[in-house]
Amino acid sequence: MSAPLSRKSFLTLTGASLGAAALAACAGPSTSGGGTTDKSTSIDWSKIKPAATISFMSSHPGKSRETELKLIEAFHAANPDITVNLITGGSNYEEVAQKFQTAQAGTEVPDVVVASDVWWFRYAVSGTVLALDELLNAVGVSTSDYAPGLISDYEYNNKQWAVPYARSTPLFYFNKDHFKAAGVPERAPATWSEFSEWAPKIKAAQNSASGYQNAYQYPAIAGYAGWTLQNVLWGMGGSWSKEWEITADAAASVSAMQWVQDSIVKDGWAGVSSKNAITDLQAGAVSATISSSADLTATLKAAKEANMRIGVGFLPGGPVSASPVCPTGGSGLVVASKTAPERQLAAAKFVTFVTNAQSAATLSAATGYMPVAKDADISAIVAQTPEFATVVDQLKVTRTQDFAKTFLPGGDQELAKAATKIMNEKAEVKATLSDLRAALETIYTKDVKPKLKS
Amino acid sequence: MSWQNLGRTVAGGYLPLAMATLVVFLPLLWMLLSSLKAPGEIVTTDLALWPRNPSLQNYADAASTVPFARFFLNSVIVTVVGSSIKCILAIFTAYALVFVRFPFKRVIFLLILVALMVPPQVSVLPNYVLIAGMGGLNTYWGIILPGLGTAFGTFLLRQHFLTLPQAILESAEIDGAGHWRKLWKIVVPVSIPSIATVALVTIVSEWNEYIWPLIVTDHPDMMTLPVGLTQLVNSDGGTQNWGMLMAGAVIVLLPILIIFAALQRYIVSGLTQGSVTG
Amino acid sequence: MGRSDIGAATQRTPTTTRSNPARLATADAVLPPGEAALPRPPRPGLEARRWNKRSRRDALVFVAFAAPNVLLILLFTYRPLITNIYYSTLDWTLGAASATSVGLGNYVEFFDSPDASAVLGVTAIFTVTTVGGAMALGLLVALTLNQRLKGRTFARAVVFAPYVLSGVGVGLVWLFIFDPTYGVLSWMLRGIGQLSPQWVNDPKLALVMVILVYIWKNLGYCAVVYLAGLQSVPPQLLEAASLDGASSARRFVSIVVPLLSPTTFFLLITTLLSSLQAFDIIRIMTPSGNGTSTLIFDSYLQAFGSYNRAGYSAAISVVLFLALLIMTAVQLRFVERKVHYS
Repeated sequence: MSAPLSRKSFLTLTGASLGAAALAACAGPSTSGGGTTDKSTSIDWSKIKPAATISFMSSHPGKSRETELKLIEAFHAANPDITVNLITGGSNYEEVAQKFQTAQAGTEVPDVVVASDVWWFRYAVSGTVLALDELLNAVGVSTSDYAPGLISDYEYNNKQWAVPYARSTPLFYFNKDHFKAAGVPERAPATWSEFSEWAPKIKAAQNSASGYQNAYQYPAIAGYAGWTLQNVLWGMGGSWSKEWEITADAAASVSAMQWVQDSIVKDGWAGVSSKNAITDLQAGAVSATISSSADLTATLKAAKEANMRIGVGFLPGGPVSASPVCPTGGSGLVVASKTAPERQLAAAKFVTFVTNAQSAATLSAATGYMPVAKDADISAIVAQTPEFATVVDQLKVTRTQDFAKTFLPGGDQELAKAATKIMNEKAEVKATLSDLRAALETIYTKDVKPKLKS
Repeated sequence: MSWQNLGRTVAGGYLPLAMATLVVFLPLLWMLLSSLKAPGEIVTTDLALWPRNPSLQNYADAASTVPFARFFLNSVIVTVVGSSIKCILAIFTAYALVFVRFPFKRVIFLLILVALMVPPQVSVLPNYVLIAGMGGLNTYWGIILPGLGTAFGTFLLRQHFLTLPQAILESAEIDGAGHWRKLWKIVVPVSIPSIATVALVTIVSEWNEYIWPLIVTDHPDMMTLPVGLTQLVNSDGGTQNWGMLMAGAVIVLLPILIIFAALQRYIVSGLTQGSVTG
Repeated sequence: MGRSDIGAATQRTPTTTRSNPARLATADAVLPPGEAALPRPPRPGLEARRWNKRSRRDALVFVAFAAPNVLLILLFTYRPLITNIYYSTLDWTLGAASATSVGLGNYVEFFDSPDASAVLGVTAIFTVTTVGGAMALGLLVALTLNQRLKGRTFARAVVFAPYVLSGVGVGLVWLFIFDPTYGVLSWMLRGIGQLSPQWVNDPKLALVMVILVYIWKNLGYCAVVYLAGLQSVPPQLLEAASLDGASSARRFVSIVVPLLSPTTFFLLITTLLSSLQAFDIIRIMTPSGNGTSTLIFDSYLQAFGSYNRAGYSAAISVVLFLALLIMTAVQLRFVERKVHYS
């Protein structure tokens, strides 16, 4: 009795809060059916006057905040009636997505949002962003103004859902000094089998160096594995999926991932980065790695300061396919569907401005992203950073990513889990990939297929 | 005999004491040292413990990448305003719970107690909707308001007030003092150590709060330090400037350490005092 | 006598942070019964009329004093909690405008999926090791600090310091130290001819890593609370045992441990609840939750990671809330039993 609280009153309170759950139904999503609404169909854009103020939510990819502010200034100079507020959505694409999706629950939705390869599709399916076809028409921009390989990534259901913005490809980065010491050519290997011949020599030549780890460092699994492993898979005829058919445990995929595991466990010339493979390369702990072209400028600068010679090249091919074996990546720009048409029109003007030939060249020069506009003049950039030519050339041999990586919600997480098991825990490859296929198929059947009712 | 004693004191006293102190101290020292190094001295397998040319360049870089001075100011404003209000609310509520007669006191106390068990992440989305609807995104009040209700401070002070001798209050009652005077003239003055503890704990939690300010701010001018710190982590692309990150960490951790150093006497001695005299 | 002394000390234990609000949630229940009862001063000789008027005035004062705080708690803690319980009955993609009601479907799915055993397992390991580790080490440090040593005040403050630091800052600093390539730990290991373990890549080691950092951050709290408990053990008791020739180890087990049991119990409950709500360090050190997905972090990842399953995430957080409630209820029962014994 003298105990401060009795269990009974405690349970009563719990019951009361559970009972009140029904009262809370006013907040959040509606459950009355409905689904996605396509606002763009019924609007005559020529009669709309663009809004005076819109917001642009970005993670400032590649440390581009200053550049983005510069682009916004240029836009304002060209369109004095429209002011654009730059919003920091977080420090990476996931945080931007988190904030954009949270914002859907409120009233303040940003107008233009940076969306990575895995996010634009989910926005499109859940109806939070607009199909851009009519808007592009309204502002007099054609999809043919963009680099074909980059703009086509954002097609779904015969509609255009985003325009390319900060687009990157993975590049093969290597330490020229290490290659030289091993007596192998100072260039990126043409194929992985060529590199597997070089690797033991490279490693042997560095054996006495303190803290040296491996000839090759796989990028950190979180965030990168699903992306860069496509290169190995495709080269050996495998893939995570073919359209919606999950092929992660097909024979070619299994042998590709077996090769990956062998390079780490059996042959012992490769390792896996904990966080930043490119930083491991800069530390001299590894001789080669794959990392985003967005790292190019910063890496070359750091290498110069550390008196280290770093080279870049195309991603190596495989026995089945030498090319194209390079996935594209990075982000595009989407326009939110929840805002008023006036704002959407202003957003379209802004989106097409910051991705036009001149803006694209500005962003590329500042970061190392690919020029997304077809006519972007990058000769000045190449003159300053000759390695940048590799980025542009490789653009011609890129391949659109597997659906399983980009279109399945949580797909990249599942890929990362499987890669962790195979690469870090020495798990049996075939069984792991079969489990992966099952998990991916469940996601598809449960979360994607019902929403694809065209 | 005395040598043996000395040996025992060292092995059972000073040695573990020194170890515990070092385990806490060394990581923080490493942070400080790294923040003074050039990038080439950090991203290398050939580490040198001391910076070759100690420089504040990383701090300058951090400050030029994100507006750290502004983050600092925001954190100070949020912490000062937030924790002051919380302390006052806690004092009032705890006083009411202990010294004022009210029929449903127990239920209300229970309500406050159970609130401590609600995981903070649970409230993120619903509170976002509410605050955004009220126009609180990127405002100080939007950052501060949802955390103002203080279950913890109330609980702690209530526990302390319960131990106060009834006699002093009764004598005040005979003098005809009302609740307001009893609170400020008697209860608060004798509870300073406990209130200081609540203040420290509140300051610490306001200063370190991460998820809510992250969600409710999207303009660098309104971000607090812990949120701003994560903005230093490079977006898209791997290269990390660890020296700059460590400089950022120093900026976030140092002020709270200083406040702690100033107030720690209260917490720790308040604690032990209670057991010696109690 | 000794027992109530410790009760008083425990009750004064005033250290926690809001990010771990559950820490002290249950101290009330740990109090010796006499202490915790609300004071009801006898008021003999008051006339009924005066009494009524006074209690009406008191009620007004109570409302004026307590209402702002209580309303804020209702608005920003209970309302979200209830909303969240409602969300947990939906199949809702975060960001989507519409959702389907699935009743208890999310709960069924969670407990049916292999995730449940993994997540609950990680939660159990994280909680048991952080609570056990911080308490055991905290007691050792407290025993050391309880001796008359020079510099112990300083040491006490230093050991407690990590407890007040930002989890984000601490997480970053330790991530840098643990890095297998350029981290200082790998450098030290190389010095003795060892390769650095893959702290982040290996899910098991990732869990070990966050556990170590969490203990580092919270050890001081246990040490200071234990110290308060130790200092309330009457020195005569220890001396008497010493004169009897009891060895120090036996003395410790037979006298100190039982006297510390209320403190231990208090710490057990408070650190248990705060470990279950640990978030910042795990989020900063292992953002993808590889091997470190505890209930609270999995709930976060399900909604804000790449899955976007807001309803499912809400269900997991309700499971966590219920776990916290049950622990409190169990503890209340413990206290009720204690009441009968004493």
